[in-house]
Amino acid sequence: MVSKTDEAQVNRLENQVDNGGGGAWEYLCLVRKLKLRRSDKVLKHGLSILNDPKKRSSLGPDEWTLYEQVAIAAMDCQCLDVAKDCIKTLQKRFLESKRVGRLEAMLLEAKGSWAEAEKAYTSLLEDNPFDQVIHKRRAAMAKAQGNILGAIEWLNKYLEIFMADHDAWRELAEIYVSLQMYKQAAFCYEELILSQPTNPLYHLAYADVLYTLGGLENIQAAKKYYASTVDLTGGKNTRALLGICLCTSAMGQLTKGRNKEDKESPELQILAATALERDYKQRAPTKLSLLTSTLRSLKL
Amino acid sequence: MAEDLVLDTAIRDWVLIPLSVVMVLIGVLRYFVSKLMRSSQSPDAKIVKEGQIIIRARNLRAGANFIPPKSFRARRVYFSNEENGLLYVPKGQAQNAQAQMFSDPNMAMDMMKKNLSMIIPQTLTFAWVNFFFSGFVAAKIPFPLTQRFRSMLQNGIDLSTVDVSYVSSRSWYFLNLFGLRGLFSLILGEENAMDDTQRMMQMSGFGFDPTKGLSAEKDGLDIVQHEWALPKFEQRAEAVLRKLVS
Repeated sequence: MVSKTDEAQVNRLENQVDNGGGGAWEYLCLVRKLKLRRSDKVLKHGLSILNDPKKRSSLGPDEWTLYEQVAIAAMDCQCLDVAKDCIKTLQKRFLESKRVGRLEAMLLEAKGSWAEAEKAYTSLLEDNPFDQVIHKRRAAMAKAQGNILGAIEWLNKYLEIFMADHDAWRELAEIYVSLQMYKQAAFCYEELILSQPTNPLYHLAYADVLYTLGGLENIQAAKKYYASTVDLTGGKNTRALLGICLCTSAMGQLTKGRNKEDKESPELQILAATALERDYKQRAPTKLSLLTSTLRSLKL
Repeated sequence: MAEDLVLDTAIRDWVLIPLSVVMVLIGVLRYFVSKLMRSSQSPDAKIVKEGQIIIRARNLRAGANFIPPKSFRARRVYFSNEENGLLYVPKGQAQNAQAQMFSDPNMAMDMMKKNLSMIIPQTLTFAWVNFFFSGFVAAKIPFPLTQRFRSMLQNGIDLSTVDVSYVSSRSWYFLNLFGLRGLFSLILGEENAMDDTQRMMQMSGFGFDPTKGLSAEKDGLDIVQHEWALPKFEQRAEAVLRKLVS
């Protein structure tokens, strides 16, 4: 998670560097520290340092870190020649390094020669079976080839060992949702909520999955998670507000004809609808009619 | 003692200063030697996995109230059932862990290396100091001390009449051995300064049992009372919205 102050600092530095104000190295360091993906900028500013022998030599041993960073950014931007040059320089300096080996395998992957990349990753894993980056690359590679089930398999294998890695859980959850395997996705989102209980996005995604699963119990739970999202975001999340309305309407349909003693108080959805209308009035007045007709069709 | 002992300035030039310099140099040398001998050990699969299990179980314990009761119960069973739960440690295995660690030749080798780099230079310098500089006073500290410090400052001099503020050469060696840590952290960087006292502490920490963490976590998980927090959130959301709308 990138905190707000960090992000502001990155943006300020990026602005400064873009306008030729210097501080490129500080910017690159910060990007690396926060693990941001701003490959185009990293490539541009990193190369400008690397192509200037004076600036480059003033970095000292950090020069090699920069080569690695630029190589990865270049692969992300499909500038494979640049990446190749960087990796070659690193290779000359660090013979038989595992870290350079990883970069080479990534270059193969970026070129699209899957089989060779796979082979390279496998041999790297034999040397160090706990290289998390390589495990993740393998899952990503399977996904890039369209082999979604393979990606799931790799991710599951990875999570068996590194079960506290919530990024992997999130990836798995999104894959499951894309395959409409909602029960599995729900499990992953539960795991994510456990790892970061105050992140409203996980609550929201979990509620979406529960609502899609359907059934009275799930929809009741979904409504609760939409409510928690509303609470955690201070009522600013439109999707959560709409979710509450939808859940209430669905619950109304499911419990139709039954005795109404376990019916919940209707106040929450009335409030949600009012908040929605207010929000639309402020930010998108032209679409207000759409909203009112939708809400009316939900019988609220 | 009424009259002071007069120390020869040659003692300062040929004992006090050389001894300190040699100790510093040996410390630096030892740092580089141990850096060379350090083997990059890949972590054991079991230990990595156990660490991850503990983190996940801790998350479960902390965030239990945020997931539905059914999901929580399923997870608890997954973690702590008595057949193949992740946190369950069979009784026999728990005691074996320590023995296993000792029988692992790699581990023993590592310990050997660490100890060798500590013991060999220490014995050599001690022998050197003992041989050349034993039995005389090398320095005087500028303030008086009580009798209890005699064994610390006048090691190697068996005279009870000498004032305690005189330091024998062997004691000067010991003071250097334990007192140069700050200097090393200046020369070698903060985290590299490993003096002997710290190493000894590490030694005694050996024999720690990794399965203990698992069973402690299991006990913690077993006593968690699950109380779903989400129903409360509906009221809280209502309050938030009411504030927003009004």
